[in-house]
Amino acid sequence: MTEDTAPRRSGGRLARQAARADRSTAAVVPYLTRTMAPFEVVSEEGLALIEHNADTILEQVGIDFRGDPDALRLLKDAGCDVQGERVHFPRGLARTIIQKSAPRVFTQYARNPARNVQIGGNATVFAPNYGSPFVSDLDNGRRYGTIEDFRNLVKLTYMSPNLHHSGGTICEPVDLPVNKRHLDMVDAHIRYSDKPFMGSVTAPQRARDSVEMARIVFGKEYLEDHTVILGLANANSPLVWDSVMLGAARAYAEANQAVLVTPFILAGAMAPVTVAGAATQTLAEAMAGMAFVQLVRPGAPVIFGSFASSVSMQSGAPTFGTPEPALVLYTVAALARRLGVPFRSGGSLSASKIADAQAAYESANTLQPTVLGGVNFVLHAAGWLEGGLTVGYEKFILDADQCGMMGTFVRGVDLSENGQALDAIIANGPGNHFFGTAHTLANFETAFYRSDTADNNSYEQWAEDGHMDSAIRANAIWKKMLREYEAPALDPAVDEALRDFVAQRKASMPDSEL
Amino acid sequence: MSDEQELDLTSLDDAELVEQMHNDLYDGLADEVAQGTNILLGRGWGPEKVLAEALVEGMRIVGVDFRDGILFVPEVLLAANAMKRGMAILRPLLAATGAKPIGKVVIGTVKGDIHDIGKNLVGMMLEGAGFEVIDLGINTDADKFLAALEEHQPDILGMSALLTTTMPYMKTVIAALKERGIRDKYIVLVGGAPLNEEFSQAVGADAYCRDAAVASETAKRLVEARRAAA
Repeated sequence: MTEDTAPRRSGGRLARQAARADRSTAAVVPYLTRTMAPFEVVSEEGLALIEHNADTILEQVGIDFRGDPDALRLLKDAGCDVQGERVHFPRGLARTIIQKSAPRVFTQYARNPARNVQIGGNATVFAPNYGSPFVSDLDNGRRYGTIEDFRNLVKLTYMSPNLHHSGGTICEPVDLPVNKRHLDMVDAHIRYSDKPFMGSVTAPQRARDSVEMARIVFGKEYLEDHTVILGLANANSPLVWDSVMLGAARAYAEANQAVLVTPFILAGAMAPVTVAGAATQTLAEAMAGMAFVQLVRPGAPVIFGSFASSVSMQSGAPTFGTPEPALVLYTVAALARRLGVPFRSGGSLSASKIADAQAAYESANTLQPTVLGGVNFVLHAAGWLEGGLTVGYEKFILDADQCGMMGTFVRGVDLSENGQALDAIIANGPGNHFFGTAHTLANFETAFYRSDTADNNSYEQWAEDGHMDSAIRANAIWKKMLREYEAPALDPAVDEALRDFVAQRKASMPDSEL
Repeated sequence: MSDEQELDLTSLDDAELVEQMHNDLYDGLADEVAQGTNILLGRGWGPEKVLAEALVEGMRIVGVDFRDGILFVPEVLLAANAMKRGMAILRPLLAATGAKPIGKVVIGTVKGDIHDIGKNLVGMMLEGAGFEVIDLGINTDADKFLAALEEHQPDILGMSALLTTTMPYMKTVIAALKERGIRDKYIVLVGGAPLNEEFSQAVGADAYCRDAAVASETAKRLVEARRAAA
C-alpha cells in the first residue's frame, strides 16, 4: 500500500455534497480589487479641456443652491461670488477646496468587520438597486414595492456573495407612511444583513435619524472617526442643488459620514446631447456639491457620482446600455481620478420591463464599462429594470451572477508557476486531454467562474429539465435563498435600543404622505 | 476526518465495508477500492456480487452526482479509474465463473474526424460502469470498425463525430453492417455535439447519447433489455 500519510479519504458523497452545496464557506471577498489599469477614452489634453470648460461653467453661469441660506453663507465665506441663490466659483476654487480635505480613499465599516469595504483606489464595491417604486417577479408581476419586498431584497443582498454592500432604498416601501418608512428601511439593513449600508436622504431629519440608528449600532464616538453610513445626494440637474439634498448631505457630513454627490443626467433632457457636454456639466455640478460637503466638515468622505444616460429623441424616454453613456462613464471616471476622489457610476442598467434579452444586453453594456472604467462604488448593480422604476427579483439574481464574473475578471492573469502551467503542458504532451492531469486535478474546482444562473447542459437535458429560460431559473434561486435565509446575529442590547428608537420616532409624529 | 484516515477496512462488517467502498469510489481512491474488493472476495463473496453491490452501485451514485452538477469531470475520471482497479481484480474471476460480463463496447471517432476528447470521456464512463472498452481511436473507417466487431464480438458499437461534415459517415458504417447482415447483432450508439435523436434514427442507430453520463446509462439499459429479451 501507499506510504502516503496525507488524508486521502475526504468523507465520500455526503461530505462532498455538503461542501459543494455550501459555497458560503468560500472566503468572503468583501470587494473587488482591480489589478488592471482603468480603460480610458479621452486624452490628457481632452480631460484638461473638459476641466477647463467645467470651471468656465462654475465661474460664468454658476450653480443654484436653492432654499439653503446656510449653504450660501458657507460658500460665500469660502470665496464664491454669491448672487441671490446663484453661486459662482472662481476658476479652480471648487477643485482646491475638494483636494484640500476630501479623502482619496476611505473605508466604510460594516457591523461584521469581514464585510468592511474600501471605497476608492483600485477597489470596486457592488451595491444593489436603489429607489424603485415598483417591484416585479414572475409569480406576481409588477406592483408597488412593500416593506416585505424591501426586507426580501435586503436578505437576498446579504446572501449574495458577489454583492458587497446592502445599499439603501433597494425598493421604495410604498405601503408605509412617507415620513416613517426610512426607519424601517435602515432597521432592515441593520437587522437582516451585516454588510455596510446607506441611510435616508428624503429629508434632513430622516438623514439624521439614519445616522442616529448607525450610532446605536456602532457607538456614538465610533462615528467620529469611522464611516459607517452613506447618503446619496443627487443634483437637480441642470446646475441646481436643492435644499432637501443639501440638508441631507449636511446631516451626513456633520456626522463625518459619507456623501455620494451625484448629478443625475439624462443627456438631451438635463444636459447637452454630447458626451463631452454631459461630462463637463457632471463635473461642474459634482464639484460644487463636493466642495459644499468639504466646507460643512473638512475631511468628511465624499464620492463623486455620475448617473448619466441618454434619452430617446423620439419619445423623451430614458435609454440604457447604449454606447454614449458608456463613453460618458469612462470620461467622468478619469476626471474623478484626476480630482482625487472615489467615483460612483454604472450598475446593471436597462430600460427593459422584464429579465429578457434587452435587459441582459443593456445591463452587460453598462456593467462592463463600470468595471473597466474603474468605478469604485456601484449602485444599481443588481435588480434594475425599466429605467429604475422597477426592481425585479429574477433580474436581481441574474445581475448578481454577472457581478461575480466581474470579480473574477478583475483579478487579471495569474503568472505564478501554477498559472503558467508549463509543467502540465510538457507532461501531458500532444493529443491527450487535460481533464485528468495532476494540474487540472489540483485546480479544477476554482479554475473557472461557475455561474449559478446559466444552463450549459445539452439541449436534451435542458428540455428534460423543463425548457427553463434564465428568468425561470432565477425565480427558483431567489425563492430557495429566501427559504434558507438566516439572519446574522444582532447584539440583544442593540436590537432592543433600535426597536425603542424606531418606536419612539414613529410615536413622535403622525403619519404623513410627504 | 482523522478517524477516517486511519480506517481499517478489515474491521468493518460487510454492510459497512460496501458503504465505505461507495465512498472510496466517490473519492476516487483506487488503492482502497482494490483493497475492499479483495476483502469481500476473501470473505467468500462471489465476484458478481462484489461487482454489483460494491462497484456498480458505487459508480451509479457517482453518475447521479455528476448528472446533478455536484461532481466535476476530473473527479469522475478518478472514480472511473478506481472502478477499473476493482474490475481488474474481478474480471478474470468473472470469466472463470462463466458469469456474463456487464458488456463490451467497441468505440471510435468516425472517418475524417480527429476529435476524440468526448469519445474518450464516454469510454472512461463506460469503463467506470464496468464495461470492457475497445477504443479504435480517431479517423476510423468502416473496414476498421467491421474488423474490430469481428475480432471482439462486443455488445455495443459506439461512434462519435464532432463535425456535421463527418457525422454522415455513421450511416456508411451502419449500411456496411446491414450489407453483411450483422446490423442486429450489435447495439449501435452514436454521439457528438452536432447530433440529435432525429439524426440517430435517420442513420439507423439504436440511440443517441447526448453526453458521457447518458452514454453509460443508455449502454447499461440497452444491454440489459437485450439480454432480458434473449
